[in-house]
Amino acid sequence: MAADSRTASPGAAPAAGKAPRKRALRARRRSRVGLIFGIMTLIAVVMLYPFWYMLDNAFRTQSQFEQQRGNSAVSWGQLFSELPAGRELFNSTLICVVSILLILAVSTTAGFAFAKLRYRGSSTVFLAVVAALMVPLQSIIIPEYVNLGKLGLINTYLGAILVYVALGTPFATFLMATYYRGISDDLIEAAVMDGLGYERTFLRIALPLSWPAIATVTVLQFIQIWDDLLVGLLFLQNPQQRTITVGLAALSAGRTTSIPVLMAGSFLSAVPAIVVYLIFQRYLVRGLTLGMGK
Amino acid sequence: MSVSQAASRLARGTSPGQPARPGRSRLARRRRRAGILLSLPAVIVVLALLGIPIGQAVYYSMTNWNGLTAQWIGPSTYSTALSDPVLWRVLENNALLLLAIPFAIGIPLAIAALLNEHVRGWRFFRSVYFLPTAVSWVVIGMVAVQFFALNGLMNKMLAAAGLGRFQTDMLAGQRSALIALAITFIWSMLGTNTIIFLTGMATLDPTLLEAARVDGLNRRQVFFRVTLPLLKRFVQFSFVITVISAFSALFSLIFVMTNGGPGFGTTTLEFFVYQSAFSLGQFGTGALYGIILFVIMIVVGLVQLRLIRTEDGEGW
Amino acid sequence: MRRWKVLAVTAAAALLATACGSGGGSSGSTSGPVTLTIWENYGTEQNATALKNLAKAFEKLHKNVTVNVVSQPADNYFALLQAAAVSKTGPDLAVMWTGLFTLQYKEFLANLKGKIPAADLARIDPNALKWTSDQFNAANGPYVIPLENQFYIGFYNKAAFAKAGVTAVPADWSQLFSACKKLKAAGYTPLTYGNGGQPLGAEFYPWYDMSYMMIGAHQVTDWQQLYSGQIPWTSAANEAQLSTWAKLKSEGCTNSDVLTKTNNLGDFETGKAAMMVDGTWDTQKFTSALGSKVAAFVPPFSDTPIKGVVDFAGDGLSMTSYSQHQHQALQFLEFMTTPQAAQIVNAAGLIPAITGTSTSNPVNQQMLNFVSADHLTVYPMLDNVVQPDVVNTGSKVLPSVLNGSISPKSALSSMQTTFGQLPSSQRGSTYP
Repeated sequence: MAADSRTASPGAAPAAGKAPRKRALRARRRSRVGLIFGIMTLIAVVMLYPFWYMLDNAFRTQSQFEQQRGNSAVSWGQLFSELPAGRELFNSTLICVVSILLILAVSTTAGFAFAKLRYRGSSTVFLAVVAALMVPLQSIIIPEYVNLGKLGLINTYLGAILVYVALGTPFATFLMATYYRGISDDLIEAAVMDGLGYERTFLRIALPLSWPAIATVTVLQFIQIWDDLLVGLLFLQNPQQRTITVGLAALSAGRTTSIPVLMAGSFLSAVPAIVVYLIFQRYLVRGLTLGMGK
Repeated sequence: MSVSQAASRLARGTSPGQPARPGRSRLARRRRRAGILLSLPAVIVVLALLGIPIGQAVYYSMTNWNGLTAQWIGPSTYSTALSDPVLWRVLENNALLLLAIPFAIGIPLAIAALLNEHVRGWRFFRSVYFLPTAVSWVVIGMVAVQFFALNGLMNKMLAAAGLGRFQTDMLAGQRSALIALAITFIWSMLGTNTIIFLTGMATLDPTLLEAARVDGLNRRQVFFRVTLPLLKRFVQFSFVITVISAFSALFSLIFVMTNGGPGFGTTTLEFFVYQSAFSLGQFGTGALYGIILFVIMIVVGLVQLRLIRTEDGEGW
Repeated sequence: MRRWKVLAVTAAAALLATACGSGGGSSGSTSGPVTLTIWENYGTEQNATALKNLAKAFEKLHKNVTVNVVSQPADNYFALLQAAAVSKTGPDLAVMWTGLFTLQYKEFLANLKGKIPAADLARIDPNALKWTSDQFNAANGPYVIPLENQFYIGFYNKAAFAKAGVTAVPADWSQLFSACKKLKAAGYTPLTYGNGGQPLGAEFYPWYDMSYMMIGAHQVTDWQQLYSGQIPWTSAANEAQLSTWAKLKSEGCTNSDVLTKTNNLGDFETGKAAMMVDGTWDTQKFTSALGSKVAAFVPPFSDTPIKGVVDFAGDGLSMTSYSQHQHQALQFLEFMTTPQAAQIVNAAGLIPAITGTSTSNPVNQQMLNFVSADHLTVYPMLDNVVQPDVVNTGSKVLPSVLNGSISPKSALSSMQTTFGQLPSSQRGSTYP
């Protein structure tokens, strides 16, 4: 097999008499590369177009927008006067960070338990937790709203956070469990033999090893929570507690006739999620690979 | 039965030959206690915040609850709802959206194949292609409204390409609005699915592909007869994610783009739940539709699980 | 170990921050500083300006009260209000539409009978107040204090008419169509439609037009039969009106993106469009942009010269039954009945609903003259006197009729079907 692959690989140095064929081969390969590069660039343009559109039009006034000409920074100021945008950005950040911390706390422990510390019935419990992935938000949003309303948690950060944690736990647990499955049992058992309890083993050995999975969960959940609309709309009814995404939707539904203001707001709300993604993207690929299992 | 076997195999870990320890030894007992302790928080969260509400939703679905007062009606609410033509119109919208799934999977496959050629700068392109996924549906929806407007980019492009007579106000017609919604949905799923497939292709053994080339297959045949079957698990994973998204993640997009209209043109089941409960104040009916949605999701999930299992006899 | 501790402490601190930093609507204490929360769905209409100024004036009069006016997304305003009523986290005062809208939501609204002094209530235009009570009888106690008197009305650009050679304001369908032809030839969009304007949804709100179509088809006393079903929605007269209405687009009287045009107001304000059907909440916008070039006219959706105009106090403020600051909320409502408040409303370009006061905006005055001088019959807003379920269906199907996507017949039969599904208590011969 190896010998075949060596002779089969293109561009391998053949005998001198085959030089023109090699040149033709290389030329064809180059044009093929060029074609691929061209298509990829085209796709990139399609993907990036909305960002360009947002940014371009955010720097216009409404009349400039209609004529598609001219620039002005007026809309950004308008954005901050129509929305408490700074406050809403803070709200989004706070809610995201706390929710993710809680999700990680809950899913790493459970993931480790399901992967390494099986007990009678744990596989069923695990299945139930992962099956909760299937529960659509819309199916539970009404009872959830009423329950949390009875507890007085509407219009509080905690109420929204609890809902996000509930929605993010199943998938996060699944991902962490899959990852921990890849850690050898012997490593765990050795640590336990050395006198560490199972809990300590988790904290000092398993947890530090699972940064890629943790990063994956962080990125995916951050995007999910930052960009969420329905939960924020219902559970955070005042602009003072709202997230930026909900504030933006409220602005667009309020029929502000200034599209540039909407575009400015859109861009502002899109940036943090993009930043988080770019920081963690290395881990994302690794985490997804492991999540799929090999 | 077999499904839980799959899960237990997962839970047990990869190391072969691990005997099931008898519950008698002290170590096993400590392990069990630690296991219960560590998995408890997740179980509590899921039970309290997901399990109980589903149960309540089932109860409310059989009342005429308007949020303030409830009156028990009984299971007949289901037969009433199922005979409402509007519900079937809504389900029809969901079914039509499914038609977008092949595109939402096929196009990323092609893109991933391109990226997999590792042409110069492919990593940059990979980052770029995932960017739309990081952006909120709200934002995407707002840009989409501008794109599909009568004087928006789509119509301008049609005019520039000489197809001016196809110019249309997509969001004003019931069916065309749904198509616009589907296009936007496909666009935003491209990034996620591309990454999934790219990841999958990276796990493939290159010698297999080389062998296929040696056997005389051209590039396209290699792709369809060798690569694709090996990527089956990834395609299935992507299928599940895409279907789940189509059924339960489009709320923000619909809210911003069309608010379910015109008429019921872009009202999918998940949006219908919100509309019934909150716009019309029929919380009982809304809960009922929510249960229907849940049942559909379970069916989709089970079908997926069955497909995966019969293919290679192993759990996820 | 240390890293773990740091993480745990950070998490705990963050949790504490969330528990404490909840904020929420109004503060708890009854003595000392009070915050009143008002929810509104006015978007960028003049009503928003009026309410904001009312709040400021009220704060000056009551130094210990802060009024927090919250603008909620109009698309789902009532949805949010209902949700907030369930969890009792809603505002103290909320903008509420009158007529059957009020009665639909009255479960969480406070009946103001006995809570507001009768002397204050007497200052309000009785025609406005009656629509806010059970059986539309003011003696049953109002749920809403009206903000202003409104008109669904048409606006036209006098300069455009002159330039196109339209010498008389159209008074019926045929005159409207011929005016359209002239305006189109002169390069204007004769009648502009879209979803800008009153912030109510991703499509345009068809009930201004529908009201005038029903004015053209039925007497005001017969409108009650639209409610009770004696005149079915599918009647021939209704269908004929809708068919003619749909011709507006098919014969080029309107822009082609009737449902999705976002800046139809902009087009009218810049003089690109010659006519527009809208309401008093935008009058001042038009007078500011067009000065003396803009005038009001009655949308002539009738085969014979149109004889009715929609003059109705469509919205106002209610107090929620669960408000924690009923005393201050009632004070605000009482303030709305004072001459000072009427002045503020007038300054925002609206028509105050307090008897003895009037509007200083000339175009608004034209509308009042339609009633007082031309003796046109006063009609209510159709969407406020028809069952909410039917209104919902109508909002969904009627826009498509104008767009030409569905036939008038099928739209009307959808509305009729919805009507048929109503319980008999909502289909009585008198209003509930």
